[in-house]
Formats: sequence, structure tokens, C-alpha cells
Amino acid sequence: MPEAVVCVKPIPDPKHWDRLSLDPKTGVLRREGIPTVINPLDKHALEVALQLKDNFGWEVTVVSMAPPETTQTLKEALAMGADRAYLASDRLLAGADTLATAYTLAGLIKKKAPNFQMVLCGNMSLDGSTSQVAPQIAHYLGVPHITHVSKVETEDGSKFRVTMDLKLAQLVLEHQGPMVLAVTKEVNLPRLVNIMGILAAESKPLEVLSAADLELDPSRIGQEGSPTRVRNLFMPEIKRRREILKGEPEEVAEELVNRLHQAGML
Amino acid sequence: MNDYRGFWVFVEQLQGRFSDVGLELLGKARELADATNTYVGALLLGDFSEDKARELIGYGADKVYLFSHEELATYHSLAYTKLICQAVIQEKPEALFMGATPLGADLAPRVAAQLETGLSAHCVDLRLGEDRILEQIVPGFGGTMMAVIICPEKRPQMATVMPGVFSKLEPQNRQGEVVSMAVELTEEDLKPRVVKFKAKEQKTVALEGASVVVCGGYGMGSKENWQLLEELAKILGGAVGATRPAVDEGWAPEEVMIGQSGKIVHPKLYIGAGISGVMHHVVGIQDSEIIVVINKDPHAPFFEVCDFGVVGDATKVLPALIEKLKERLQVD
Ligand SMILES: Cc1cc2nc3c(=O)[nH]c(=O)nc-3n(C[C@H](O)[C@H](O)[C@H](O)COP(=O)(O)OP(=O)(O)OC[C@H]3O[C@@H](n4cnc5c(N)ncnc54)[C@H](O)[C@@H]3O)c2cc1C
Ligand SMILES: Cc1cc2nc3c(=O)[nH]c(=O)nc-3n(C[C@H](O)[C@H](O)[C@H](O)COP(=O)(O)OP(=O)(O)OC[C@H]3O[C@@H](n4cnc5c(N)ncnc54)[C@H](O)[C@@H]3O)c2cc1C
Repeated sequence: MPEAVVCVKPIPDPKHWDRLSLDPKTGVLRREGIPTVINPLDKHALEVALQLKDNFGWEVTVVSMAPPETTQTLKEALAMGADRAYLASDRLLAGADTLATAYTLAGLIKKKAPNFQMVLCGNMSLDGSTSQVAPQIAHYLGVPHITHVSKVETEDGSKFRVTMDLKLAQLVLEHQGPMVLAVTKEVNLPRLVNIMGILAAESKPLEVLSAADLELDPSRIGQEGSPTRVRNLFMPEIKRRREILKGEPEEVAEELVNRLHQAGML
Repeated sequence: MNDYRGFWVFVEQLQGRFSDVGLELLGKARELADATNTYVGALLLGDFSEDKARELIGYGADKVYLFSHEELATYHSLAYTKLICQAVIQEKPEALFMGATPLGADLAPRVAAQLETGLSAHCVDLRLGEDRILEQIVPGFGGTMMAVIICPEKRPQMATVMPGVFSKLEPQNRQGEVVSMAVELTEEDLKPRVVKFKAKEQKTVALEGASVVVCGGYGMGSKENWQLLEELAKILGGAVGATRPAVDEGWAPEEVMIGQSGKIVHPKLYIGAGISGVMHHVVGIQDSEIIVVINKDPHAPFFEVCDFGVVGDATKVLPALIEKLKERLQVD
């Protein structure tokens, strides 16, 4: 059966981003104690794959690169209906930029799902939000990619018609053969997890692999394999006057007009 | 690494029209090149004449690398990647910039991967470090955090840059040259096949260049109340923007959404009403000269970053403000 691979990124739950902080000494981001969730768009990517499973009997494999404690988050993808999951997890993979991330995920895919027909990603993660990983995975797999995908259509599960939304224009592309797609939220409405799915997930394979298991080139992974460096992180500091006006609408309106006039705005 | 010289810009085009962000980046590249005594290169792919390509010289390019072919009029990721990589390998620029548009976000990562170099995404600023290494300022976690990204050891240094953060130059009569590049494409380069191209109707939104922006959020409450913003904008000769929830409610079109996933604006005067002021939105307006915030909740985070804050109900403050302004500016 054809196989779809879905890249699922566990991210710190956006509800708790106010708890992110910077280590004052090292400048490293601290996210301890913040629960992880599946990157929202990756559920849409998974839904595309699950529909191929429902309609054409495809196999659905989830791949991820993340710390080992995120296996619980990947179980949710299994509960939605994926058949199996592989997690690349290793200290050596830490600090990866998008190039090293894509190299690692592509390595995992080549190893565990070499006959994939389609790789699906979210168009963007909520945390790093670079949108760079999908095209770079495609490069390492040597197949075409399409991002900003708002529609995936197929009649036979073999030839695909894909809509790419470029904001100012739409392209409709056709392709038969392996490719990487990065989807937006317009593509579908992901299914909800039900109790049957949760029970079934318990017996589905979820394998954690190290860099050595994947036979990756050590010079291309983690921080070492990342051409970009974070020189520093900072919280934007905004210097403003912060004059607060209170009172009846007419009074504050008058007051504001005066201030704007003084500031040369009118 | 010292062999790599020059700042390059990929100038995106749609139906033969240059994108604004491409021209803005030429302006920035001009500044960087002047500061370091090097040149500005523009990459132009499409179905173009040399005369059309020459226009880019006026916007700051010294050399325009023109790839003209009818198949290039429409975007094909593999073909574009191949041609751009060929030119980069041949000419060795130290940096290559693209707009952080959907097309740029599709193309730049693939080019970077093929060149095995670093790429930073959605930059809101670019500056040169003392070591002549490019510092690329990237927002993360919805703008709550900014990262200074560098690419110390690989060339070219690549970045996609948000539309609207730099200004394009007034076209000038400058010297420069158009270099016509060979275009050889195979069947494989043109996959996946584009079977349909549909340009969306381009509604002209004056938002990006506007000197006054009046923006509304979810706190405006209704489409009727939204009219107050339109009226205020009209009096001030400005444009109306919106936050994501206001767009979701259907009070304003998607095109006028301001913030991380929308437009970046830098007007002289920004007035925001019924907006809580999370970073997703604030990153899009923080370069405004004066920021006015109207919110009924005195603890709204937006007050932290305002110049003048009015604590009050926008549906009452805005009509009063409109009246006072009409008096002051003597309009009706
Ligand atoms: C503030 C900040 C700024 C950054 N800026 C840059 C930068 O400018 N350049 C750069 O190269 N790196 C940058 N990074 C690092 C980058 O975020 C990481 O490399 C990250 O591992 C992958 O990028 P992303 O989250 O941006 O992925 P995106 O490309 O936005 O993710 C798209 C999709 O790819 C898949 N995917 C991505 N990562 C994984 C994963 N680990 N496991 C499974 N699937 C995945 C998912 O389907 C996801 O929806 C930055 C990180 C931070 C925190
Ligand atoms: C990845 C990502 C990207 C995003 N990108 C963007 C983006 O580009 N742009 C964007 O805007 N958002 C973006 N968002 C959404 C963003 O996080 C916020 O949800 C949004 O900006 C909040 O909009 P708001 O202030 O209008 O609404 P709310 O947060 O609901 O705030 C409404 C405010 O109105 C006030 N209010 C209510 N009634 C009145 C009244 N009668 N008079 C005065 N004040 C009143 C309230 O006190 C409150 O402060 C993004 C989110 C994510 C996750």
C-alpha cells in the first residue's frame, strides 16, 4: 500500500507562552514545565493523510524530531488514526536550525519509510514559524515540494491536483509521484480524537531512534550541522511616552486632539 | 569566504509586475553595499525584455541578472531554484535576500538547502556587525521574543524579509548593467506541472504607504461600530487596518490585517481601538511614530507600548474624537 509520512512537531503550548523566559546568564530560552502540544497545522497535514487512508487504504506514518518526553504528544497523532510513529531523539540533535532539522527528518524518512508517496507538513510551526522545513526536507529527499497548500484533490489516489495559495494568486499544480506538501488550515478540518482511537493508540508502534540508529552524518545534525547561529535573543523593548488619559469621552477626545496637535500629527 | 562579495536581491514578479518588497530590498541592499564598497545584484526571472529589467537599476541595482523564458513567467520551484543556484555558484554573492511572501517562503528554503547555507525567516531588520557579518533580526514565539540570527561560516547569507520594513528608493537615473543569463530547462525542472494560474483581484490597499492608520480590534464589537473607524480614517486621510479577530468576524477584509501574519505598517500616526495589544499585532505597528490606544480595560497590554492611551469605551470615545477633529480640522 502507498505510504504517507506526516511530520509532526511537538511545540510548547501557546497558552503558556507568557511563562517563557530567557536565562539571564546564557541567553538560552527556558521552557521548563510548559506542556507540549501538536503544532496545530500538523493536524491538518495528518488529516490529509488519514483521508488517503480512509479512501484509498494508504498507510500513515508519523515522524518527529523532539525531546524524548514528547512521546505522549505523538500518541495523540496515533489516536487520530496514524499507524505508527518514529521519534528521532538525541542530545546530538539539539540546537538544530531548519537545515539540520530537515536533514534529520529526511534521514528518518529514508530509513523508515523509503517508499513514501507523499510527505505532509504543516505550512508553519507556531513556535519557530520559519516555514522552511518542508521545502528543505524535499531537497534532501530529491522530490518536488508545494507549500501554502489549501486544497488536495485526487480521484484515484495516484494523480494529485494541488492548490497553492500565493495570496495574490493561486496556482493549481498536478503531480504523480512522490512529493512533499506543506498545508494551511484551509485544506481541511482535522478529525477529533475519540476514545476508540485512544485505546487503539496504546498498541501502535512508537519507536524512538538515536542519531546513530539513523546513521546520520554527525557534521550535518544538531547545532554542529546548523549554518545559522543565534547571536542573541532579546525581548523587544519599546520606549514610548505612555501618557494615559482618563475621563468623559468629550474631555479625553479634546485632550487627545491637543496632544496630537502638539506632536505635529494634525 | 572572502571571495564572496555583493548583496543580491531576488525580485519577485507577478504577471510582469515587480513586487514592492523586491524593490524595498534593493533599497536596503544599496545601503549595505555602499557601506561596504561592493555592488548590488538583482535576480529577475520571468518573461522579460532587457528594457524592463533595466528599470531595476533605477531602484538601486548595479547588475541585473535576467533569466528570461516564457516558462518562467509562472513560478516553478525547481526551475527557479536551479537557475538561482547556478548564478550564485558562479558569481559568489555574500548575501541573498528575498521577500517573506508565500512565493519567497516556498523558494528561499529550497535554494538555501541546495547551497547548504543558512536562511533566516521573516526578518524585520538587517544590519551589519563589525565583523561584516549580517545580523538578521527574526521574531519568534509570535513576537514575544526576538532572535539575532547570523550565518558565520557559509555563504551566501540568506534571509527572507517582511514586506514593508524597508523603503524603496525613488527611481533614479543610475549606471548599471543587465546580464542576460542562459536558461536551459528540462521536463523535470518544470514539475509539478502548473495547470491553472489565477491571479486574485488586487484590491488596492493604501495601508502600507499610509501616513495615518486607524486600526480596529475585536473590541469594536460590530460591523456598525466599525464605520466609526472608517469615518475617522477619512477625516485624517488615513487607511483602516484590523486585527485577526476583527477579520475573522468579517468586519474587514483579510488584506488589511496588521501584524505578524499580515501587513507591517509604519505610519506617522497609528490609532488602535478595541485591541488588546498582543505581540502578534504589535510587531506590525511598532515602528509607527506615534501610537494611540483606545481600550476600556486599563490593564490591556497595549497601553504598555502606546504614546497616548485613552481608557474608555471606543464606541463613545471615537464619536467624540471624530467631532473634535472635525472642529479642529474644519472638515465636515
Ligand atoms: C525565535 C526563533 C527563531 C528562529 N529562526 C530561525 C531562522 O531564522 N532560521 C533557521 O534556520 N532556524 C531558525 N530557528 C530554528 C528553527 O525554528 C528550528 O530549526 C526548528 O527545529 C524547525 O523550524 P520551524 O519550527 O521554524 O519549522 P517550520 O518550517 O515552520 O515547520 C513547518 C513544518 O515542518 C514540520 N516540522 C518542523 N520541525 C519539525 C520537527 N522537529 N519534527 C517534526 N516535524 C517538524 C512540521 O510539519 C511543521 O508544521 C528559530 C527558532 C526560534 C525559536
Ligand atoms: C501564529 C499567530 C499569528 C498571528 N498573527 C496575527 C496578526 O498578524 N495580526 C493580529 O492582529 N493578530 C494575529 N494573531 C492573533 C493574536 O494572537 C491576537 O489574538 C489578536 O491580535 C487579538 O486581537 P484583538 O486585540 O482585536 O482582540 P482581543 O484580544 O479579544 O482584544 C479585544 C480588546 O478590546 C477591548 N475592548 C472590548 N470592548 C471594548 C470597547 N467597547 N471599547 C474599547 N475597548 C474594548 C478589550 O478590553 C480587549 O483588550 C496571531 C496569532 C497567532 C497564533
